[in-house]
Amino acid sequence: MSPFALLLAPSLVSALLALVVRPYRRVVGWANGVLSLLAFSAAIHLWARVLAGDTPVAGDLLRADALSALLALCVSGVAALAAWLGPGVGADDGYDRGQARTFRIFANLFAFTMLFAVTTDNVGFMWVAIEATTITSAVLIPLHASRASVEASWKYILIGSVGIALAFAGTVIAYFDFVAMAGRDHLSLNWTVLRDAAPALDPQVMQLAFVFILIGYGTKAGLAPMHTWLPDAHSEAPAALSAMMSGVLLAVALYAVVRWQAVAQVTIGRGLAEGFVAMLGLLSLAIGALSLWSQRNYKRLLAYSSIEHTGLVCVGLALGPLGVFAAMLHLLNHSVAKSMMFLLAGRVLHRYRTAEISGVSGLLRVMPWTGGLFAAGMLAVIGLPPFGMFVSEFALVRAGFAAGRPVVIGLVLALLAIGFVGVIAHLNRMLYGPVPAGVSVGEGSRWALVPLAGCAAVLMVLGLTVPAPIETLLVRIAEIVAP
Amino acid sequence: METVFARLVVLESSLALLFGLGMLWRRGVPAYISAFRWQSLVLAAVAATVAHFGRDRELYLVAALLVVVKGVAIPWLLRGTERRFASERELAPYVNTATSLVVASLLVLFAYAIMRPVVAASHLPTRTGLPLAMGLVLVSLFVVTSRKKALTQVVGFLMLENGIALLAILGAYGVPFIVELGVFLDALMGFLVMQIFVYRIHETFDTIDVDQLDRLRH
Repeated sequence: MSPFALLLAPSLVSALLALVVRPYRRVVGWANGVLSLLAFSAAIHLWARVLAGDTPVAGDLLRADALSALLALCVSGVAALAAWLGPGVGADDGYDRGQARTFRIFANLFAFTMLFAVTTDNVGFMWVAIEATTITSAVLIPLHASRASVEASWKYILIGSVGIALAFAGTVIAYFDFVAMAGRDHLSLNWTVLRDAAPALDPQVMQLAFVFILIGYGTKAGLAPMHTWLPDAHSEAPAALSAMMSGVLLAVALYAVVRWQAVAQVTIGRGLAEGFVAMLGLLSLAIGALSLWSQRNYKRLLAYSSIEHTGLVCVGLALGPLGVFAAMLHLLNHSVAKSMMFLLAGRVLHRYRTAEISGVSGLLRVMPWTGGLFAAGMLAVIGLPPFGMFVSEFALVRAGFAAGRPVVIGLVLALLAIGFVGVIAHLNRMLYGPVPAGVSVGEGSRWALVPLAGCAAVLMVLGLTVPAPIETLLVRIAEIVAP
Repeated sequence: METVFARLVVLESSLALLFGLGMLWRRGVPAYISAFRWQSLVLAAVAATVAHFGRDRELYLVAALLVVVKGVAIPWLLRGTERRFASERELAPYVNTATSLVVASLLVLFAYAIMRPVVAASHLPTRTGLPLAMGLVLVSLFVVTSRKKALTQVVGFLMLENGIALLAILGAYGVPFIVELGVFLDALMGFLVMQIFVYRIHETFDTIDVDQLDRLRH
């Protein structure tokens, strides 16, 4: 069977299973978990094929190069985490059967749209898939209907849809550029065709197209100043969905930016394309880092940290091949760290019944393992060794100096330091102190900690070394994006 | 022949833009819905015109889809929702009518400025309509950001999509049909989900005034 079928089919089958089994039964959740592992192994298979120098294709529609393989790995991995730890698997997770069924249907469709977006060669379908991610995920945000969650999902669906519509306008303008040069052809929206034609395209038209695309997909990626929906949506969504949205949806939107950057910089020149990306990146980094200080809600704290890291990835994308290497390593680290953190935050919320930082104290005594992992994850997120983000941020700084941009790097380091101090103060308050009245002591479902501890272990390995298979993959990506 | 084609297309595109501008001085959701319906029908006419003069059969299909989905189905669904919330009128948008019109005209001028390289690069007889399409995109964007009622924002978003569809038809005689189908499907699903949320907002807040949505302001 083609690796693409194995990658894409499991999420569709799981969604269908949840749709037909009424009322919802927990066996659907387990089947979903097993199927999600199948998709994950297909992603590993793609990764191995790419490392062997192969570029798997299926017709004109699907194609997986190194960049696709990395994203497929992240998306299917986080989708598997969400499938095992989401509503409808454990006994008492605070969701009823109807909610579990809704979650299983839409979370799987959400995973499918993301996997399709990163493996299709057609930038038109990539757009269709990313637009569909908004629809499939917005439905799940008010799983526990409340004023705040309805408001968050409205903001998300409106700002997300408008943003993504602008990305389509950009796609259409780039398509004009191609059609004006080469005439109409049913393959003219294929990324490979566009990339090969890029040197001959009209730079002024492509410049306009790229600005639209950057603003459009940037809105989905949570880049400032279009980020206003993100803290609301990520903090109000159920934990497993937040993990998918923060861990990989942002990465998928960035993937679309990277694909277009690879085409645009050939047409309009490296300097200009990188300038646009770096500007939005620095602004997001600044807004993310400064906002960390004033947060009173730990899920919003994590959401603003996502904005900070998306900004950082964009800065890396603007720093040449070494920068792309660092940015993609950072994206991988962020996927692992943020999905783990949002799932842990879900456990904390379930126990303390509040998302306010002031309402959580003595976490290390109440749930020693959850608390320990939460602390480790937070330290990883702010870039301390021995965790992966330290390595990718270090690589980014080196890339910056190599590219001759000391001022940019100075700014980045200052902003990271600001974010660092902001988070540490909040973290201390949550970990230590007295246990609030009415909060029971002891871990809940222990087995759920195993995959989360696995994430922490991955972060630690990535903090000590970049294993050869990952390094080769990232080098290949750098060759694609910044040849 | 070419000039008839070009003039017809510019006339139709101007009409589409005018229906978009109508959102700025009219009050009341029924007026918005009928503006959207007429705009969609004009858009279908553009597609049919281009299909006829440009000899592109697929665009007839696009025109038919536009009539069925955006000319009939979506306005019909919108009317149903509107009747439920009959008392909800767009009385006080964030930006008043006079200012809105000034902003809109500036946006159309801006559209002409940014589309100059695109018009220069294109060889199609339809290219003169492109700035009007971009004008519609920008004006719709302004409508979405400056109005308070959830339902008005939905109509603004639908007009934004019409603007982009117009852009695609004029600039390249439409994107490949199979992609077009995907875009249509997304537009319809997106609209239906937005519609569900309008109901949910009403259920939870007793109004569809998004000004009341301020729980998450930080």
